[in-house]
Amino acid sequence: MHLLEVENLTKRFGGLTAVNNVSFHIDEGEIVGLIGPNGAGKTTLFNLITGFLKADSGTVKLRGENILGLAPHKIVNKGLARTFQVVRPFRHLPTIANVLVALQSPRGSDKIEWIKTPERKALELLEDVGLSEMMMEPAEILAHGDLKRLEIARALGTEPDLLLLDEPFAGLNPIETDLLTKSLQTIHLDGHTMVIVEHKLRALMKLAKRVLVLHYGEKIAEGSPEEIAKHKKVIEVYMGKGK
Amino acid sequence: MVTIYLRRAYRSFALHILDIPSRLMALLLIVLFLAIPGILPANPLMSYLLSVLITASVMAIFASSWDLLVGRCGQISLGHSIFYGVGAYTTALLFRSYGLPSWVGILIGVLIAAAISLPIGFPALRVKGPYLALVTLALPLIATSIVFALKDITGGENGLPIPVEGRFFQLTNIHNLRIAEYYLTFLLLLVSAIIIHKIANSRTGIVFVSILDDEMASKACGINVTRYKLMAFAISATFAGLAGGVNVHLLLSASHGDFSLTLSFFAVIMAVLGGMGTIYGAIVGSYIIYFLDMYFLRMVVDVPDVWHVLIFIVPVVLLVIKWPRGIARFVTDELEDLSEERPLEERGKRIWKKYRRKKKSANEG
Repeated sequence: MHLLEVENLTKRFGGLTAVNNVSFHIDEGEIVGLIGPNGAGKTTLFNLITGFLKADSGTVKLRGENILGLAPHKIVNKGLARTFQVVRPFRHLPTIANVLVALQSPRGSDKIEWIKTPERKALELLEDVGLSEMMMEPAEILAHGDLKRLEIARALGTEPDLLLLDEPFAGLNPIETDLLTKSLQTIHLDGHTMVIVEHKLRALMKLAKRVLVLHYGEKIAEGSPEEIAKHKKVIEVYMGKGK
Repeated sequence: MVTIYLRRAYRSFALHILDIPSRLMALLLIVLFLAIPGILPANPLMSYLLSVLITASVMAIFASSWDLLVGRCGQISLGHSIFYGVGAYTTALLFRSYGLPSWVGILIGVLIAAAISLPIGFPALRVKGPYLALVTLALPLIATSIVFALKDITGGENGLPIPVEGRFFQLTNIHNLRIAEYYLTFLLLLVSAIIIHKIANSRTGIVFVSILDDEMASKACGINVTRYKLMAFAISATFAGLAGGVNVHLLLSASHGDFSLTLSFFAVIMAVLGGMGTIYGAIVGSYIIYFLDMYFLRMVVDVPDVWHVLIFIVPVVLLVIKWPRGIARFVTDELEDLSEERPLEERGKRIWKKYRRKKKSANEG
């Protein structure tokens, strides 16, 4: 059984088909990249899978159980967490309290080892992404790169089986990108499966073993990063048709 | 043996209260307010001042309940008097019809206020921000119409007076009665404020703030936003209902004014003036407003009632422009700066000396 199985997922906004008949699957322990030019439907696809948008047709199965149509918080509590492309911190709360919110969810609080307090667990999660020094600072003063990592710590607080990252590298400088790549590798080693949306292939190459390419809402290619980099259609989509 | 325990108790007291300037300040204020009846001479004017402070305490409970819902959870309610009024009318009806002991009536009033908060909270799940404010604004208007429509039960515009036996204390000396009521309401305010503050700073309170900041992100954290919003409504309604119920036994009547828009807006004004989202700000704001409105403008300078709102609204607006985060928060922020980076061994002592030194060096530099 696959961890996540998406079949024939379709979403139309009026006349525009944002996601068209997309099918793919994710296996346990994978890091999968999802790329495509602007407006390809990557974020829409994430919103459909995580319940923030209602799909027109198709199925989404997590460990064989249909999750399409469930409320977003219920999907999170089944073990599928996400981050947002534009960071959405809780600005009034200290950094550590941002993570505590996730630990207050049913799944998050159930999975805390009995010996730990939620605060302790939150601190460990912040350590994983390198934010423990900022734990008492209000989230509103954090830099953009820190907020990106805070989003990830928060998503990890719900103990997801599968983590969907929406453009985690967007707007980061090279140093921050390296930091984040390292954090993601650690998180992967801890046993989290990930799907990473990105439209820059380079950052993804280091992490993903398999890449899906979306264009105008349709899946046009799938394969290892090397295959994708040479794929004729993908090059066409990104660079335009050669003569 | 005893000295060890005393020393330990002192250490803990120093660490948790003396060390933290804002808490020390709160403690001093509490002591001051507890001492007030002893300081004041027993004359009618002072009895009146006490009744102003009694009202301020009751309104402080009401305003801090509003602050928990709006300042902490972001569910804007402009019709908070609905909970106050329901608490008041239930208490008055029960006392008149069944002659239940006052506290039993108040308790039932509180429970009913909390119960109606659930159907009222449901619009909050559908509408947000200004739209929710408009929906809640309509509720006390509906309640007022019901009061006027069901004259036989609610007494219409005459309200529901209750007999003198409804007082909390059966004292004949009016000044002593006010002192007793003053202590009662002040203690009630203390207990309510501590409970509300504890809730606001608990893990549940953190989730409330997360809903205020970004509802979508809370959902993405696996939070059942519906449940937490209803919880905030219920807790808030509980304390608003308590304020309403207690007020009936102080004023000896429930009236349609308990559902008025003025009352709802007073909660907003008091909380915003003191500092929204702080809980203690609502209390400070309530004392300031009621002292200004009912004492200063009536007894110190005699101004006709119609001018009151105008006169104190202008300074309130100016103060909010000067300190948008509220008066109380401005003061605690100033104090908080002092306590930062204080080594452990310095804790619990010399805080005021340090403050003077800092002021001095600031003046020289």
